[in-house]
Amino acid sequence: MRDLIAEALDKARADYAEVRLEKVDASGVSYRGEKLDDIGSSRTVGGIARAVVNGGWGTATFNDLDSIGRRVAEACESARLAGKEKTCLAAVDPVVDESPAVMEKDFRAVPLSEKKALVEEYNDIVRGCHEKIETTNVAYNDRFRSVWFGNTEGTFLHDERPDVGVSLSATARDGDNVQRGFESQAGVSGFQVVEGLQEKARAAARRAVDLLSAPPVTGGRYTVIINPRLAGVFAHEAFGHLSESDFVYENERMKELMVMGKRLGPEILNIIDDGTVPGQRGTRPYDDEGVRTRKTHLIRKGVLSGRLHSRETAAKMGEEPTGNARAIGHQFQPVVRMTNTCIEAGDSSFEEMLSDVKLGLYALDMVGGQTTMEMFTFSAAYGYMIRDGKVAEMVRDVVLTGNVFETLEHIEMVGSDLAWSTGGGGCGKGGQSPLPVGLGGPHVRIRDVVVGGRQG
Amino acid sequence: MTVRDLVEMAMKRADGAQATMNRVESANVSFENDRLKTIKSAQSSSISLRVVVDGKLGSSLTTDLEDRQGVVDRALEAAEFGSPVHFRFPGPREVPAVKVFDEAVTSVTREEMVRLGEEMISMVKEYNPDILLGAGVSRSVSRHELANSAGTVLSEEATAFSLGVHGQLVRGTDILWAGHGFGWKKREIDEKDVAARAIDLFRKAERTADVRSVDMPVIFTPEGVSVLLLALRLGFNGKNVVLGASPLGGREGEQIANESFSLTDDPLLDYGGGSAAYDGEGVPHRVTPLVEKGKVKNFLYDLDAAGRAGRESTGNGIGCGSTNLVVAEGDVPFEQMVRETKEGLLVHNVIGLGQGNPLSGEFSVNVNLGYKIENGEVVGRVKNTMLAGNTYEALNNIAAIGDKAEWAGGRLLTPPVKIAKLSVISR
Ligand SMILES: [Zn+2]
Repeated sequence: MRDLIAEALDKARADYAEVRLEKVDASGVSYRGEKLDDIGSSRTVGGIARAVVNGGWGTATFNDLDSIGRRVAEACESARLAGKEKTCLAAVDPVVDESPAVMEKDFRAVPLSEKKALVEEYNDIVRGCHEKIETTNVAYNDRFRSVWFGNTEGTFLHDERPDVGVSLSATARDGDNVQRGFESQAGVSGFQVVEGLQEKARAAARRAVDLLSAPPVTGGRYTVIINPRLAGVFAHEAFGHLSESDFVYENERMKELMVMGKRLGPEILNIIDDGTVPGQRGTRPYDDEGVRTRKTHLIRKGVLSGRLHSRETAAKMGEEPTGNARAIGHQFQPVVRMTNTCIEAGDSSFEEMLSDVKLGLYALDMVGGQTTMEMFTFSAAYGYMIRDGKVAEMVRDVVLTGNVFETLEHIEMVGSDLAWSTGGGGCGKGGQSPLPVGLGGPHVRIRDVVVGGRQG
Repeated sequence: MTVRDLVEMAMKRADGAQATMNRVESANVSFENDRLKTIKSAQSSSISLRVVVDGKLGSSLTTDLEDRQGVVDRALEAAEFGSPVHFRFPGPREVPAVKVFDEAVTSVTREEMVRLGEEMISMVKEYNPDILLGAGVSRSVSRHELANSAGTVLSEEATAFSLGVHGQLVRGTDILWAGHGFGWKKREIDEKDVAARAIDLFRKAERTADVRSVDMPVIFTPEGVSVLLLALRLGFNGKNVVLGASPLGGREGEQIANESFSLTDDPLLDYGGGSAAYDGEGVPHRVTPLVEKGKVKNFLYDLDAAGRAGRESTGNGIGCGSTNLVVAEGDVPFEQMVRETKEGLLVHNVIGLGQGNPLSGEFSVNVNLGYKIENGEVVGRVKNTMLAGNTYEALNNIAAIGDKAEWAGGRLLTPPVKIAKLSVISR
């Protein structure tokens, strides 16, 4: 592969060019209700050639590896047509390295029959948990991605990226009332990650049934405590995307809005992105431009202190590259993305957070979310009212919404119980979804959060 | 290699087989932050195979056209543990005529695509130079081939073309995103019209307006109608019906909406984004009425779901999804709808759709681009506003349907729809 890439790049006529070749083996098993819904596997091979000439980028993606030489030429030609300015890329030392996968139990060696048996077992648990469980959706997916990367500066990398996960969804019905419970587990260290999830299967089923008798939350403003998983999602979705420099580097107004040193939240608030956390799904030694990953403080003591870069955005903003240019597959060019993002631990206990809340909401996990830079909308999977300092009745349809900057200011307490999420899911940006990312956080208390729902 | 060869290879060990091959060549020009950023070209090819062995189904997919034996072996392995099939691969049948290929798309050069993008950007810039703009122009040519063990052999060539321009206007901590785009299988898209529609969205948002937290009438623009259709897309999906997950299951003939509301799945609209002569299982496409005068008419089935429901495939395979959805036109001009609204919202797009439990029809979304209507006039953009309700209640509470349907995206053809009352939460 190295020779193939080197030979193709030899003929590149561009300020800079790179080639990434990928081979992905994936398999999946899913059940819906009593029935096996899908079982199968896929193999994808393909590549992308990318070139820059006078600041303009050209890319060519392909499945036919034999055409690599032609595709590199095509990318250079496109770049020449697009380029009208000056190429600006942060300097990076060339590196040659291999990063093989380390799996305790290699899922590629597990026969499809065993994967099927596991999913069937979880599915049976969910179905059999309660008579009100109407249907289920239990899915297993694994993906082994091998990547070869080379560029015209002499970098050559080969790495392997395993990812495996199970999602467990239960649907319960009582007349017209239909509710869902959801759990997931995903990781990079092998098949054992998804074994032994019987308790999670029961939890998903029980939650769906419990939500049947939970009333919808009454819309309004509340003091809200979010659990670690939701805190991680908030750090990533609501704030993290604003730290991605491709939104900022050519946008004067955004630069003003996101100026370093600006106070965005209280002293107790620290948010980081860290591509080096061992065992997390967003962890990689290098990004998809061959830049070493690192830990970046996005918010330190409530003050904006860093942002995420590709080589181009770093150069254009005069900052250090951070190793955050990532692509989900060979069809895509790398874009600035988060790796593992978390709100760092504070010093409050969960009990302290609860103690002086007369009427509030405890929101847990997430079933969906969307942001448009300043605005976010998150659907918590479930929630509980907080009454007189105690967790009270369960409520459903908990949708949190608001302006990111106001909400950051409204953070009152940060818990000491930091946890990285073991759940699945991923990030979507620029049509590239889902990218495996890590999400972490402690319990966090925020005042004056608008909670959607019908008017009370 | 042909898909027939692959079926033949598989049939040495299988009782039934279907092979499809998809090849696409595309080009895309994208502008970011007011300037031409990237020119892309893409070549892709993939083969997928479904086999039936001892009444059980297995599938596999590859992009490696050399890996024929591999794709056959993996499908056969999957079939060993596969689910029981409820169908037979269909034999040769005549497919309907629908236009999906436009020669004009194939000859669009990259230089021409750059020019189209520049033109859209300069038009919007002329309206307001402070808007930071992006734009995209894409074209593609694809060829799909299908063969199965029942003797069906089909192929179709299609083109696609799309244009879009979008921008961001930052004022203090207020960020406004708006834009317009359109894509279908034909070259004929007027870049000036696309830019003009984007400008109109920005123009209506020049001022902001306050909203009270009360129930009020809401007019959905054709794009906004997607909010109401999500639950129906899921509810009419035959797979959800078979699994008992659809609240519409078993309710054929029942009234679920006002009489003014009719909805059709129509894959035979010339050049529609979801149009094609046959589906992913080689079943000829057809027009399927879903709601007729407010009554449930049919569900969308693929071969497997149809087999399980004791019905016939409606040509919505694989997966029972819709092709092009068409909402029947009503009789109220859009201007009149607005004029007759004393206090209400005009909703263009939202964020947060599909969260929670979309099958139930419940929605609780944040208005991303929406406008306040006061005394019959659009007075400004609304901020920090949520919209909550239930699709099925809303459809029984339709105040008016527009007299002119428009494409919203490439797969929905609908007039604007006015709902008499929805819950609006503001702060
Ligand atoms: Zn994200």
